[in-house]
Amino acid sequence: MLQFLVDVLIRTSDIMLVAVGLSVVYSLVRFPNVAHVQYAMLGAFATLGLTRAGLPFALALAGSCAGIGLVAVVLNTLVFRRLLRSGSSIAMIGSLAISMILIAVVLGVAGSRPWRYAPTLSSPLQVGTTVISIDQLTSIACGVGCIGLLAVLLFRTNVGRSMRAMSSNPALAAATGVDGARVLNGITFLSGVLAALGGTMLGLTETVHVGLGSNLLLPVFAAAILGGLGNPLGAAAGALLISIAETLVTNVDFGWVVGGSDVYVPVTYVSAASFVILLVALLFKPYGIFDREVRRV
Amino acid sequence: MKLAKVLYASVAATVLSAAAGKSVAQTVSVGAVLPLTGASASVGDDQRRGIELAVAQVNARNGVLGRKLQVIVEDSGGVAATALGAARKLVSVNKVPVVLGEFSSGITIPVGEYVVQQGDVHINIGSSSPQIRKIGDGSFSVIGLDDLSARFAATDVFSQKLKDVAFIAPNNSYGQGVAAEFRKRFEALGGKVSSVVLYSEGQSTYRRELQQMSRSRPQAYVYSAYGQEAATINREAYELGLNKTKWYGIYLTMCTSDTVPQAAQGQEGLEVASIGQGGKSYEDAYRQKYNEAPKSSFGSYAYDGVMVAAAAINQAGSTDPAKIRAAMRALGAYNGATGTIAFDAGGQRREQPYDKVRFDTKVVSR
Repeated sequence: MLQFLVDVLIRTSDIMLVAVGLSVVYSLVRFPNVAHVQYAMLGAFATLGLTRAGLPFALALAGSCAGIGLVAVVLNTLVFRRLLRSGSSIAMIGSLAISMILIAVVLGVAGSRPWRYAPTLSSPLQVGTTVISIDQLTSIACGVGCIGLLAVLLFRTNVGRSMRAMSSNPALAAATGVDGARVLNGITFLSGVLAALGGTMLGLTETVHVGLGSNLLLPVFAAAILGGLGNPLGAAAGALLISIAETLVTNVDFGWVVGGSDVYVPVTYVSAASFVILLVALLFKPYGIFDREVRRV
Repeated sequence: MKLAKVLYASVAATVLSAAAGKSVAQTVSVGAVLPLTGASASVGDDQRRGIELAVAQVNARNGVLGRKLQVIVEDSGGVAATALGAARKLVSVNKVPVVLGEFSSGITIPVGEYVVQQGDVHINIGSSSPQIRKIGDGSFSVIGLDDLSARFAATDVFSQKLKDVAFIAPNNSYGQGVAAEFRKRFEALGGKVSSVVLYSEGQSTYRRELQQMSRSRPQAYVYSAYGQEAATINREAYELGLNKTKWYGIYLTMCTSDTVPQAAQGQEGLEVASIGQGGKSYEDAYRQKYNEAPKSSFGSYAYDGVMVAAAAINQAGSTDPAKIRAAMRALGAYNGATGTIAFDAGGQRREQPYDKVRFDTKVVSR
């Protein structure tokens, strides 16, 4: 049971930060930004580059977060906002193009080899029969901590209040003196930071490689949509649900069906499981399980 | 304007044909498709080195047909589509009579089929799926296929009193072939394969696959995986504490080429023997040129592939693919860096020596 919980948490922390970042920016800029998962990949590589340049890991991570935040703001201002004037599907195709360019650049610079931050492996911690590595603990702690901070930011500070006002009624928010451009840039920056953080944590528990972002695409979108696009904390809950579904499917022994034991669903089919959940959820709750205000997609 | 274009084109054509003619006159070209990037990049680079050493060796002894031998190496990226593109280029642009490669069986098979269909000669230098046998006439293997290696592995594991094992290999022609063969052989001996997992290539984590395998509490894990995927598997097995159980790697140098030594420490396995009669001189030449020990066993097979091709071209007395095919069949036993190579009626290597190996900071024999 404990192992199940640990597995769920590890998987949740893999996709949560990126899904939350995607959702938070969607509340203001209404198009599904496919390039967002590539920010995570770029963030993982930026951290790698900075650690290779001699910075300690924490500093490298901070540098990478700031850098990717800036990249997100620049791309949003120069590309996505202009494309968005022609419609959200145009902007989405644009983001697809951007993500292909980002992949090509990283492939050219760093190659297709997977990299790791540290050359040695930390010994795993064992509690009973449950095993967890330090890296995985770090990733889980970082994910939970960031969601806590984000909740405080959204519901206890003026920035959060302005942001929520902007997302529910931009015209009214502007009339009451909210500086739209500043809030938008701030939130876009935040989404870039979250993506870089999520990507780096994924690089820590797995490997840093060029497919990192593309592997995230489906589960991250599933989590964000399940939680109600534009609802950041809903995305975190969506990530948790998707992880539970995935872990359940791969952990349940279907031996009783065929009268044997140790018969499991091949891991290859695991993403199908999360999409079945998504499909069922959307049939009954078309705007996501945790929908509050988003009505115009 | 139009005239200028025609002029340019004709000048370019003249220069090109002159250059091509020149290279045809002075060299004999053979092609190779290798995974220089992708999951098997480490092995691919070792294969490239093996080819370089063989070319140097052949050219030091008067080359082929009195001309210099040249091997044109193309990257497959570890992807079948890219590999096919590369093979097409070698066959139709470079007009090579012989194509060597690739490494992964799933890629070697389509490349081999294409080359054979074009009437050229294909030499398999690193793939061992039993499916290789079905590529067809004109394809030859200098490496033994997995009916041989799986039998060796099953006997080796079973003789260590390990009766219940879990098996993991990639979900492609190679993995499917070796998994089926191993299971058949191991169960014939009286053992039990409690789970067979075929993993999807190119994932960044195999944690869940490993957890599924560990639930039946096997006495040993038998695995075979490509360099960088094996690195992920080994690392996650280490993090899950599964490395306390015995791990047995089929082609251990392939399985550990990219793994952190800490995670592979104590693993056992089999490896294609690179030390035949000529193996020692191969290793010496390798050390002299690259200042390190051979990174894998597969470089020596690439080396032998080139040597066999050169011998066949010399025997054929021509670069005509049909004549080279006939010469390959009539070659008899060839003493290479990997022992005696003789082809059976299907063009496959008749006998393949294997080494019992162990990982102790690097792969050593046991």
